[in-house]
Amino acid sequence: MTPGSEKNTSYCFVSGLITFVIIFSIVWALWRVFMDANGVLKFYTPMYGFSLVAVWLASILVISKVFEFYPFSAANMTGAAGIGRGLILTVLSLFLMLFITYGIFWNFIGKFGVAYFSPNSIVISGGSGAEPFIARENASTAIIYFVTAFIWWALAWDLGFGLWPWQGASQGVRGWSRFCSISILTVLTYAVLFHPHICQLFYPPQDKAGVAPWWAEYAGTGSAFFSLGLALCSLKWVVLSDLMWDGYPWRFLDRRGEGNFIRGVATLIGSVALGIISMVILLRIMNIFWMEPFEGGQYTDAPYFRYLHAGEISGFIVLAAFILKTYFNNFPNLSTLPLTALFRTIVSFIGGGVFYMFYYSTLSVWLLGKVPGIAQPDDTPLVWTMLFLSVVIVHAQFFGAWPVRRPTSGERLLRTG
Amino acid sequence: MERRNFLKSLAAAGMAASVTGPTGLLSNEAHAAGKINIGEVKNVKVDVLTETSWFDNDIMKKNMMDYGGAMTSQYAIPWDPKNAGGYSALITVTALDGKERKILLDSGWSNDWMDYVFQEKSNVASMLKKGEIEFMVLSHWHLDHYWGIESTLKHKPDITMYAPATFYPEDMAMLKEKAHLKVKDKAGQDVLICKNDTPHTGKLIPCNQEGEDKTGIYKLMPGVALRMFDVPILLRVRGENVLYFNVKDKGIVTVTGCCHPGLLSLFSFARSNFDQYKPYGCYGGLHISLFEQWDPKFDDIIKGVKSFNIAKVGCNHCTGWIFAEKASAAGVPIVKGTDKFKTYSRYSSVNKGNNVFLTNGDSIIF
Repeated sequence: MTPGSEKNTSYCFVSGLITFVIIFSIVWALWRVFMDANGVLKFYTPMYGFSLVAVWLASILVISKVFEFYPFSAANMTGAAGIGRGLILTVLSLFLMLFITYGIFWNFIGKFGVAYFSPNSIVISGGSGAEPFIARENASTAIIYFVTAFIWWALAWDLGFGLWPWQGASQGVRGWSRFCSISILTVLTYAVLFHPHICQLFYPPQDKAGVAPWWAEYAGTGSAFFSLGLALCSLKWVVLSDLMWDGYPWRFLDRRGEGNFIRGVATLIGSVALGIISMVILLRIMNIFWMEPFEGGQYTDAPYFRYLHAGEISGFIVLAAFILKTYFNNFPNLSTLPLTALFRTIVSFIGGGVFYMFYYSTLSVWLLGKVPGIAQPDDTPLVWTMLFLSVVIVHAQFFGAWPVRRPTSGERLLRTG
Repeated sequence: MERRNFLKSLAAAGMAASVTGPTGLLSNEAHAAGKINIGEVKNVKVDVLTETSWFDNDIMKKNMMDYGGAMTSQYAIPWDPKNAGGYSALITVTALDGKERKILLDSGWSNDWMDYVFQEKSNVASMLKKGEIEFMVLSHWHLDHYWGIESTLKHKPDITMYAPATFYPEDMAMLKEKAHLKVKDKAGQDVLICKNDTPHTGKLIPCNQEGEDKTGIYKLMPGVALRMFDVPILLRVRGENVLYFNVKDKGIVTVTGCCHPGLLSLFSFARSNFDQYKPYGCYGGLHISLFEQWDPKFDDIIKGVKSFNIAKVGCNHCTGWIFAEKASAAGVPIVKGTDKFKTYSRYSSVNKGNNVFLTNGDSIIF
């Protein structure tokens, strides 16, 4: 095993650093315009803005990971750094975000099927708390959960199953087939892990539509932040093994250098197992700082906050991993992959720690317009993290990370199979 | 998660260190100094002067939605003045020797409403003038607890005031500088959102989480302590003062404005920090289903309150009517109110008439 192509690429870290600073500034500007609660558009209510960012990230992954840029040519996309093409794909991703949020969720599924995906349908249904503000927050919460399940499956499928079982098919057939498969799995995952929570957001609870949260007894909370934290902790290992470990250890199960069913199942089980282990470790660490949480506690005492925070920490690490890969040539690139993977992972964890400290620092109070403190029920770093991640992936996937690097033909900035 | 091992974990609490700096919920200083004896009182009476901070929940939420959301600064929203009420309570402490001492908790929002409450629905105005109210505790800097400060200061500008040290310049301008604060609405018109023409001239005691002598609390009188919980709160506010009373032969009672840190976190703090801790009761807004919405985490709170063995729960304001209903049905000892609120000129749109709130005009004795 040797690390991927990065070691053969001449790389200027100063250029990477400058580009990173520019991207950071772009994210900051986007935050001030769209999210900052005291900025211009104030979408960070918080759930409404959260849902828009989550859907945008999912849209970017639909274009790049699920459809491999279909109907555009995947090969051309990965080798080129055309600004025009990048702009087209960015606009397409934003259009998808609007279409999915307002078209699919608010005005199709929410209007003709599951009412809670549409603020308007919730308001029409009447009852306690069913007015426009809470209705939009609740619908947004449902969308966030659904989209998180989709993102999880999209990345896990890409890493594990790859192109299986459609290796010989055309790009379009592969894309649509993967999209349908991932969507079915997303619906099942959402139904089991998140739907019970959403059904409890109303008074009286919608207990004919969804069971009471089945995890409440042992998780110490009925909140689906338990599921969200677990999903994000697992997703962290999908991303780390994809970007930092060059797809190993799952690639040991390759057949002819391609993904397959066994590798897919192993990736799913392995990443979930690692996710559970890392979540337990993070919860133990939080116990040291804040003592053990208890049922009914709030802020840092709340079990649901601890689960969410495990997911939030995972989000910081994922962001750091993408940045390391995109702007710092996946440093370091040593002679053996295990050592390289170890150091990259350590760097990602340190980077995640730096983002953590930034988000909860006085600097972010000034830059992001936050209220100082931790565990505010109306604030989650996942929104800023997902926005940052979306911009980085757009830059890497749609713009070929221009100008920080110009990949050679066939090289992929992020694996796609 | 071994959540049932909470008591065991308390033993290790002295070793715990907080990375949150001034924002951690639990006081390590108090642990270092050992448990605190705050003394005892004979009893505590709370008169609900007004708990109707706003009268129509939907208008309140629409104001928030139209100008941002839960994280937007309260000073950036042109609130509907006709919807403003306020939160305030009069606390009467009977010491062990039988002497009574009075504390004013919060000063509401609308000056019109608070003048009506202080002058017509109670004798608070008269008590302030005569100096019968010893000091005021501001629970936190939210509009519905603080923007009616003029209604207090016009009767007693030099009143001693305990307030969270986590104020913003607008808060202090209102308190000390005759500020008239305006904000533009969507039509570009200036809207006056709050004012105070009677600056505070008395002693202001900014409260922080370290407390007096790094004990984590402020001892206000024997058996009465104040703890400032430095937590981030919606509408860009930070920190809340909570009152603790140790009632002889009964136990610890908390009195809160909104209880943003969480009711059980308050009792958890008391359990970790107060000598001979015994839970007894609580009064105040409990900040749960404040907009009459629900969430599975509120079910957690109902289970938690029962496990903490709190014997007497007096709630109102931001507790959420549906929380009080569900908690009462689940066996939480919610103290019922009366129909006195009907003697007030206005009452809340969420009031369903089944008295699960201690509402305007009611009292509770611990």
